Amino acid sequence: MIRCENLHVTFNQGLPTEKQALRGIDLCIPSGQFVTVIGSNGAGKSTLLNTIAGDIKSTRGKIYFSDRDVTKLSATARTKDIARVFQDPLAGTCGDLTVEENMALAYGRGSRGGLSFALNSKLRTVFQEQLSRLNLGLEDRLQSEMGLLSGGQRQSVSLLMSALQPSSILLLDEHTAALDPKTAALIMDISSQIITEKQLTVMMVTHSMRQALDHGSRTVMLHEGKVIFDLVGEERATYQVKDLLNLFAQARNDGQELDDDKLLLDS
Amino acid sequence: MSLFAFLGTLEIGFIFGLVAIGVYITFRILDFPDLTVDGSFTLGAAVTATLIVAGVNPYLATLAGTLAAACAGLVTAWLNLRFNILHLLASILTMTALYTINLRVMGKPNMALITEPTILTPFEGLGLANMYLKVGFVAICALLAGLLVAWFLNTQYGLAMRAVGSNKRMAQANGIVINEKVYVGLALSNALVGFAGALFAQTNGFADSTMGIGTIVVGLAAVIIGESLFASRSMLVIILSCIAGSLLYRIAVSMALNADFLGFHASDLNLITALLVALALVFPKLRNEWKAKRAQGETL
Repeated sequence: MIRCENLHVTFNQGLPTEKQALRGIDLCIPSGQFVTVIGSNGAGKSTLLNTIAGDIKSTRGKIYFSDRDVTKLSATARTKDIARVFQDPLAGTCGDLTVEENMALAYGRGSRGGLSFALNSKLRTVFQEQLSRLNLGLEDRLQSEMGLLSGGQRQSVSLLMSALQPSSILLLDEHTAALDPKTAALIMDISSQIITEKQLTVMMVTHSMRQALDHGSRTVMLHEGKVIFDLVGEERATYQVKDLLNLFAQARNDGQELDDDKLLLDS
Repeated sequence: MSLFAFLGTLEIGFIFGLVAIGVYITFRILDFPDLTVDGSFTLGAAVTATLIVAGVNPYLATLAGTLAAACAGLVTAWLNLRFNILHLLASILTMTALYTINLRVMGKPNMALITEPTILTPFEGLGLANMYLKVGFVAICALLAGLLVAWFLNTQYGLAMRAVGSNKRMAQANGIVINEKVYVGLALSNALVGFAGALFAQTNGFADSTMGIGTIVVGLAAVIIGESLFASRSMLVIILSCIAGSLLYRIAVSMALNADFLGFHASDLNLITALLVALALVFPKLRNEWKAKRAQGETL
């Protein structure tokens, strides 16, 4: 479970460039729930995810993982509970290391790196099994340098890596945005498999309204650092992409049309 | 080149093989260009020599010299991590400070060790001529250290350190404590360099406050030569190629200095170093271009 209480984040506090990225987020995500997070650029989606992961310190407010106050924990300490996949396929893996070395790193997530060999034949079998799920032929390329793989392949491996260690929370930050439609669909497919299999609590940021409605069981929209609506259950099931767009226009309540929000794609 | 000169070349080659491994850890693994080594090489030699002259067991003295150099690495890491001083600048600061510290440690610019016992003394009665003994001893030291470092880099901890140098964000997302890895890496790198300084002082019979000047360039030359000749993904091969690169560098330098038709003097060493490093950098590029051209020719 993730609970945010009155979460505020302000960048460059006290300076002329001060920016209030989050202004009081109250959000409770029960265990096993899959929430999609939408909003235009600068709404605070990525800031919210990065604050939950611990990369950004909150200026005010508290974060709990299943009733444990983690507000003061470092990002490293929170990796025991959190697995992440980034938007940039290059960010989630080390290009200089081989596929198996990258996977070994993820396998050791949350435990202190000891002085036993990072790789052994048992682990290689596990990695091969996992990679074969992708049907990309990567199971035969364990010793390839990660930098030689395509963006889609790297993102697929990042996704598998996030599931190598048991964690309760998975944070997906537009993890299909930089991929072609076919690879994006494949990645989304494997994400869903992993999420169901491991019963993870998931937050997925996306720019695609379609994706936001098609996946998970709850949709949250952020605008200017606040939750402006929160859809669950049967009400959500009846929603279409155009309803979301309307809702968004209403919530802004300033008479503006959506023409400046080309990034809210309807596909 | 006489046999005696050749053995001397190998001896220095193995000693700077240790430096090359240290430089590889900072430059290549941690992506932290560390010039501290110019000072920590001398520090290792100075501390060891001073303690030996004061009557301390040479093995303990060598250990102390190595640890002192490791501390110098920690200072550079601390300046960079705690105060955000650019890594290159932080290491230059430590290197500059070490020049004074080395003079203070020895109390004079130069210290002779010729008549003192060294770590080689216990082996001198074994009937091996001194010049073979020295080469053999430093070769074993360099190879053992190389094997240990290669093993370390293949452990979970070592792999985490490599991840820190490659992609900090990924490392952090996988629960790796970045700063700790940088501290350990810099301490390890400088310890190897300090150990090399301690060996140099004992095999050559002196410690001098200026002996460390140019250590970084020589170490880097060895790393680059090794990399361009033995491209590999295996840590063991990479580390051993650092030692091989150092040996080749020394052999090339002494051949250049000994070839009368080239007309080089001993004082031309720095020019030769620069030329060799440039050659090692250019060679792989030319080889690739040449290969590409030939492949093109075949398809036409």
